[in-house]
Amino acid sequence: MEHSKRIIQSGAVSRRKFLGVGAASLSLAGLSSLVETSEPAGAASASSIRVGWTTPPDVLNPFTFTTTASNEILWLIYDTLMEYDINLNPTVGLAAHRSVSADGESYTFKLRPNARWHDGKPVTANDVKYTFEVTAKNKLGQAAWTLVDFASVEVVNSHEVIIHYKAPVALDPALLIPIVPEHIWGSMTASKILAYTNSHPIGSGPFTFKKWVTGQYLQVDRYNKWWGKLPAAKSIFWNQYENSDVMVQSLSSGQLDILTEVPPVLWNGLKRATNVNPVEMKSFSFHHIGFNVFKSPKSRGNPLLLDKTIRQALSYSLDRNQLVQLALAGRGIAGSVQLPPSFGVWQEKIPKDQQFNNDPTKAKALLDAAGYKVGANGVRADKSGKPLSFRLIAIQTTDEDVLAGQIFVKAAQQVGVKLTLQALDSTTLSNIVYNSNAPDWDIFIWGWDSASPDPDYLLSVDLTSQIGGNNDVFYSNPEYDKLYAEQAIRPALAQRLPVVHELQKLFYDDAAYCIMWYQSKLQAYRTDTWKGWVETRGGMVYNFTRSNYLTVTPK
Amino acid sequence: MSVRYLARKMITLAITLYVTVSFNFLLFHVLPGNPVQLLARSGHFDAAARTQLIKLFGLNHSLLVQYFTYLNDMAHGHLGFSYIYREPVTTVLGSAVGNTVLLVGTATVITVIVGVWFGVVAAARANSLTDASITVTSLSLWSMPDFFTGMILIFIFGVWSHVFPVSGIESPGLTTGTFGHVFDIGRHLILPALTLTLVNAAEFSLITRNTLVDVLVEDYIVTARAKGLRRHVIIWRHAVRNALLPVVTATALYVGMILGGAIQVETVFSWPGLGLLTYNAVEQRDYPVLEGSFLLFAIAVIATNFFADLLYQALDARVRET
Repeated sequence: MEHSKRIIQSGAVSRRKFLGVGAASLSLAGLSSLVETSEPAGAASASSIRVGWTTPPDVLNPFTFTTTASNEILWLIYDTLMEYDINLNPTVGLAAHRSVSADGESYTFKLRPNARWHDGKPVTANDVKYTFEVTAKNKLGQAAWTLVDFASVEVVNSHEVIIHYKAPVALDPALLIPIVPEHIWGSMTASKILAYTNSHPIGSGPFTFKKWVTGQYLQVDRYNKWWGKLPAAKSIFWNQYENSDVMVQSLSSGQLDILTEVPPVLWNGLKRATNVNPVEMKSFSFHHIGFNVFKSPKSRGNPLLLDKTIRQALSYSLDRNQLVQLALAGRGIAGSVQLPPSFGVWQEKIPKDQQFNNDPTKAKALLDAAGYKVGANGVRADKSGKPLSFRLIAIQTTDEDVLAGQIFVKAAQQVGVKLTLQALDSTTLSNIVYNSNAPDWDIFIWGWDSASPDPDYLLSVDLTSQIGGNNDVFYSNPEYDKLYAEQAIRPALAQRLPVVHELQKLFYDDAAYCIMWYQSKLQAYRTDTWKGWVETRGGMVYNFTRSNYLTVTPK
Repeated sequence: MSVRYLARKMITLAITLYVTVSFNFLLFHVLPGNPVQLLARSGHFDAAARTQLIKLFGLNHSLLVQYFTYLNDMAHGHLGFSYIYREPVTTVLGSAVGNTVLLVGTATVITVIVGVWFGVVAAARANSLTDASITVTSLSLWSMPDFFTGMILIFIFGVWSHVFPVSGIESPGLTTGTFGHVFDIGRHLILPALTLTLVNAAEFSLITRNTLVDVLVEDYIVTARAKGLRRHVIIWRHAVRNALLPVVTATALYVGMILGGAIQVETVFSWPGLGLLTYNAVEQRDYPVLEGSFLLFAIAVIATNFFADLLYQALDARVRET
């Protein structure tokens, strides 16, 4: 109504104005005291290493953890008898000395006399005996697979053990099994160990557990009574970010010292940042296209994929260099065999003209010769009329996989194969693929990371015995199994190398995997806080060696 | 308010809660996805270890047995054991809830105060330039997604000028005393709370403005003016009180939803709250944590609506039961 509007419009309300001004001045005063340079996480001095990551640890129990993040931290709290140096060569760790018997089945370790647990008690042979036995007996932990030929542990004296195996071991399990204190774990049953949170881990390593604020950060402090050369860092903080953009900004603005993994596009942008060094290294990982080759009648995968010709043809249809450029922003290497180039001499080098790569003409020729004629709709069919039409699944949050999938669909179309792409969340995809009762899928896009710089792990994935375990494509080839078993018991490089090469050639030829790329390990660190970061294959941190954490010094 | 009314309300509350809890349980156990499969993939669990894990998590029992175990545990204050963290769910949820309540509580208080204030200013100067500016600004801010606003604030205050921390709830490794610790958390709280406020205060300002505009033309306002009361008394003591009723409803709904819905802000600022925890639990099929957090959301929504009902009784005589 008109008159009410007129009345309300009159005059300023003095009390309101006063309140307004008062509030403003109060907030300004408050703001000024709050406005300091936002304190970088834990860096009053460069005595702490501040790491940034987006992948949190799950649990600090060395028998039950499953994430690489947990591994990273546990390897600083605990020691292994042997460890990997900065070049990923085995060197002594908790054991001061290792000797191997002539038949390669007995490993003698002499422990360091001054090694202590973080609670002050001395590390003895009984701790080693307990750790190996409980791991082997109950198949606990990430490294239990290395103990398949484990026989027993003989205690010679308080600081010497002999570990006996039933056959020579190519990969020494002592490199991967963290030694735990018997006086803490010894009384637990296997199910108790599985359920144990280990919220305050006691190890013998260079750092002690200090604090874990879930979802925020984890802190470890230097253990000043460690047996080795004390690291310069007094503490290490792993700061968790939910968002890579913010994490990268934090590095640029000085709140972090190093990042464990940087997405390719953000990494490219870091080249412009000051006092930041983005580093590209070879990784021990690959991404692959997997074909369901389960021969069991209960498989619900398309049986046409059991024909090697179709798999090879699909492999030929793809240009891996294009995939690296488009999906990885150039940060990777075109893929071929299961072992990435980071494995050095272990990788079988297939000559470019023999690779199933980027040759759609060859793909078409192969399919024509095998009798798969192109139909009216452009899709090939077999002699009974079954079309070459397959389901393709990828993880929706892995952008590069989804992009690769889209490129694959187009590439397959060129050679007369129809692919239908569906992006799923990681858990659903995992459950569909690993359904060993009745796997109901045709083709997936996924990846593998090696659990060690030794070729054994990646080669073991596709064993017949791994169906129901790691074998994601249900590949079964007795010849492959035989070759794997041979290389596993040949510690000597000269004897083992040819077998490993043959394994890769055999698997490559069968084309159950179509390896797209070996992605680069992209990390970045500040150049004005810590010095001495050594670049190595697999990464400066978040790798199989803890060396950099121990050797960097403040600038 | 009679005892009988309260009792009736409490019974309804209890039934709603029970139905929600049961539905939650069913929902998560009917979905495809087995946490043991996921754990097994990243390691090297053979069949024996897998069986052990299944037994440990109680997944080998029938659905009915699992359901009654679940209800029984809940009655004793046990919400189960997280598959991923290997810790009691109550522990896992504990800190997350506190962090979310801190963020959401702070943001709600500021949001309501700021929103209502601007709404009153806009209504008092209805159809003027002030009103138009406030309305347009409110609509613009309200239409911006939380994460976008958050990223802009991070850029302004965390990157371009290093004024506030842009992630987390506290600075790692800080060794100051309690006051220093509280202060540190306060600094980390500013940007996320500001983000929530900027986006959501608009809602309150628009509701207040529109309701107040209607109230200001009522007959009793004319009477108040005729009695010679001053303008700010009319507006604040008479008009706003009646215009607050929809605001009470909006606040109740807002708090109930935002407890789990602050996930965008929590993700952008790495604020370790319930929304983020729930999102991660969904990805990893951590059933116990999911059930626990959904239970919390249900309780939050049901409780806030219950209190809104009671508050309405107190504020509005027309609604009061005799």
